[in-house]
Amino acid sequence: MAARPKRYAMVVDSKKCINCKACVVACRAENSVPLAYSRPWMNEETRGVWPKLMAAFAPEQCHQCDHPACVRVCPTGASHHRPDGIVVVNEAECVGCRYCMIACPYDARFFREDKGVVEKCDFCVHRLERGQLPACVETCPSKVRVFGDLNDPKSKLAELLSDRQYRVKKPEAGTGPQIYYLI
Amino acid sequence: MDRRKFLRFSAGGAAGAAIGASLAYMKPFSHSPEKEAGRLEVPTTCEACVNKCSVIAVVENGTIHKLNPNPENPKSRGMLCARGNAGLQQVYSPARLKRPLIRVGGRGEGNWRPASWDEAFDFAAKKLSETKDKYGPQGTLWSSSESFQEVFFRNLGAAFGSPNQVRHPTLCLASVNLAYSLTFGTVPSFDLLNSKYIIMSGANRLESFITPDTMDLIESAEYRKAKLIYLDPRFTVTASKADEWYPIRPGTDLAFLLAMLNVIVGENRYDKEFVANYTVGFDKLTEHVKAFSPDWAEKETEIPAKDIVRIAREFSDAAPRAVYYAGRRSSWYREDFHTRRAQAILNAIVGSWDREGGMVPNGKIALGEYLFLPWDDPIAPRVDEMDKNFPLAAKGDGAYLKLRENVIAGTPYPVKAWMIHKQDPMNALPGQARTLEMLQQMDFVGVVDVQMSDTAWYADVVFPESTYLERTDPVEVLSGIAPVVVYRQQVVKPVHDTKTTLEITQGLAKRLGLSQYFDFTMDQWVAAQVKELPLEAPLEYLKKHGVYVPPGFPKYGTTLNPDHRFITKSGKIELYSDRLQEANYDPLPVYHAPAQPPPGKFRIITGRRAYFTQANTTNNPWLNQFAPENSLWLNAAAADSLGIADGDRVEMTSTVGAVRLKTRVTQEIRPDCVFMLHGYGKKSKWQRLVAGTGGCDSELLETAWDKVSGNAALHETFVSVRKV
Repeated sequence: MAARPKRYAMVVDSKKCINCKACVVACRAENSVPLAYSRPWMNEETRGVWPKLMAAFAPEQCHQCDHPACVRVCPTGASHHRPDGIVVVNEAECVGCRYCMIACPYDARFFREDKGVVEKCDFCVHRLERGQLPACVETCPSKVRVFGDLNDPKSKLAELLSDRQYRVKKPEAGTGPQIYYLI
Repeated sequence: MDRRKFLRFSAGGAAGAAIGASLAYMKPFSHSPEKEAGRLEVPTTCEACVNKCSVIAVVENGTIHKLNPNPENPKSRGMLCARGNAGLQQVYSPARLKRPLIRVGGRGEGNWRPASWDEAFDFAAKKLSETKDKYGPQGTLWSSSESFQEVFFRNLGAAFGSPNQVRHPTLCLASVNLAYSLTFGTVPSFDLLNSKYIIMSGANRLESFITPDTMDLIESAEYRKAKLIYLDPRFTVTASKADEWYPIRPGTDLAFLLAMLNVIVGENRYDKEFVANYTVGFDKLTEHVKAFSPDWAEKETEIPAKDIVRIAREFSDAAPRAVYYAGRRSSWYREDFHTRRAQAILNAIVGSWDREGGMVPNGKIALGEYLFLPWDDPIAPRVDEMDKNFPLAAKGDGAYLKLRENVIAGTPYPVKAWMIHKQDPMNALPGQARTLEMLQQMDFVGVVDVQMSDTAWYADVVFPESTYLERTDPVEVLSGIAPVVVYRQQVVKPVHDTKTTLEITQGLAKRLGLSQYFDFTMDQWVAAQVKELPLEAPLEYLKKHGVYVPPGFPKYGTTLNPDHRFITKSGKIELYSDRLQEANYDPLPVYHAPAQPPPGKFRIITGRRAYFTQANTTNNPWLNQFAPENSLWLNAAAADSLGIADGDRVEMTSTVGAVRLKTRVTQEIRPDCVFMLHGYGKKSKWQRLVAGTGGCDSELLETAWDKVSGNAALHETFVSVRKV
């Protein structure tokens, strides 16, 4: 694949996540997402038998894959890949066929009944253009998410990925997900 | 035509916009210039809770689109919690109060008629004057909670001549504040970010409330590898992040603390130099804690003695970067004051005072004051008889539960009019039936709020306040290790026919003949406040930045010289307190084993989630979605023995009430406890999402309070649970 000038990605340090839902509300406001839907979501897991218990929380959203299945199946080109790696939906071209929702291995997309289009996280591209961080990244009280450019070796993101162990979700899907969960 | 093109053209209206791949490519990402032109960023201060984080309101074409965190405030550290983000719903919610309302029909029937401001003011002033004529000014009660314009409302009550003002501390943190004040002469902050060893009990700081302490705690526990020891009968988010979690038997925290003191004193692990230079009463403490062995504490707390000994040793080894966290809301048990004082004593003897990673006295910033005409002090004593009942407590805040009981009894004198500023005693106080009794015996009830709370629902007149994004407020200092000055400025004009508290105060003052005390504008008030700040144009600075961060903080060690005089009777840190002894309280913390629920009953424990915390955001749709209905946490083994399955509806009964709600059968709570969230089962039909939905804990909780501080004791109720 041709080298990209930028490659936006996200690191999630879920050990710091306290499941406070600030990211969910911030995204709802920023992107005017109606109550029935949400772009980011929280994965919550509690295991064990009293009093031997564990709980883990981790946010998830569109993985902005390197080989996005949603883009491959989109019949109109509405879902496409920006040069900076962000996968976006051009609402004007979306016909609401929802192939992309079936293709996405992360179930990160939803169909807006009110607009007749498919929607998902786009790393708040409109904020990036203003020099702001994505809303979920900025608002987080415990700074679980680190957003940055993989191609910038001086970024906090690159530093974390070179220092820490991480995993991605469903690597077997072959889509090259770009949300890195620190271990 | 290939398939893609076909689909594109068949998309009707949408297709027209897609002219040429390259143009369409850029379209969604470039904002239209007119939209950017109508875009404004206004720094201001959040009011979703009392914590006062700095926010930047993004206004697009006159409407608030988003609240972003303001990174300039080091206290709120560039974050905004879920509640803060949902704050703009306060402005645009269809459920908010839009104009003054006067009740028609009986209290609580929910019939209102809109009134003009003049009519509402006239009505309230007439009722207040009638009460004053009949019972004296002490026949009026003025309730308020912390907010930037609260001062005006309080001053109106005082100028009116009433000694009866009651605030939230005795429903919240009165016991912890009094315990630390009597020990150190001040209530310190905790330098959690730099601590190496943190013990937390009677607090759930990663789940219940998001403040700087929350951010510091997660940062120190997860990154800086501080050790977090956590005691809680429930498996909370904080428990899940702790290095060690002990499901302590409820109400026995003091036994754990006394055993820690026993180990640290007995093994000579305290900071000898610090104790000698800065404290009094160590000899008496030494004698006192001898009886409280870890083996004894194990029987009380169910925490293994060997762990208590190890934790005590680790704690003293880590000192002065070791703290037993004070907690914020401390309205737990009847003995809460003594538990909090034992924490203070423990922290003191290991020398974790005014040092990095320990407790640190709050930094100070001086604000100017607008000088208004003074009024005569009220003549009558307070109706809650603070001097007699709680001689050491902060008198101006009152003792809410004792006050309620006295008002209902009519002793020492009748109180027949109640003005309430942005407080919801119907939900905030335990024993809702008693609160309702208190409301019903009033000749007049007036409420100032932004929404129809359960208390407003029973009022005679409701004054709609402009929300925090629609008004400019006085400047406030956020105290802490590194204090800051925050400013709340108007972001948008009031959307409805609402007024600020200052305007409401002035409207009432005019009709009560008290205008001379409120003869100023908000601008004059703010100008007087900020003129002392070391800035060239302080107001312009605050308007631009929303926050002023003075240099030179944090300062450690300002009190660490042997000549320093603590604001206590002895001038030292008081391990043993003469003042407690003189007031006939235990001068050192004495443990009284709490009653435990009889077989078949459970202790109901309360707790909070940070998207609600208090009861006033459960009707916010952006937050309500995370818990549309509350449920009763019931341990799986206990549920089994009662034949209750997950999701079953149950009735829970105490001596003062019964509520019905569905169960959440779980492993995450002790078998002898049950738990439910606060702020559901509302009476106010205008709180559509939670009116009659779920159960209301205030209906169930029995009335009890801490003897020293008068703080409510919300964990002293036993309930039975049966399937319905």
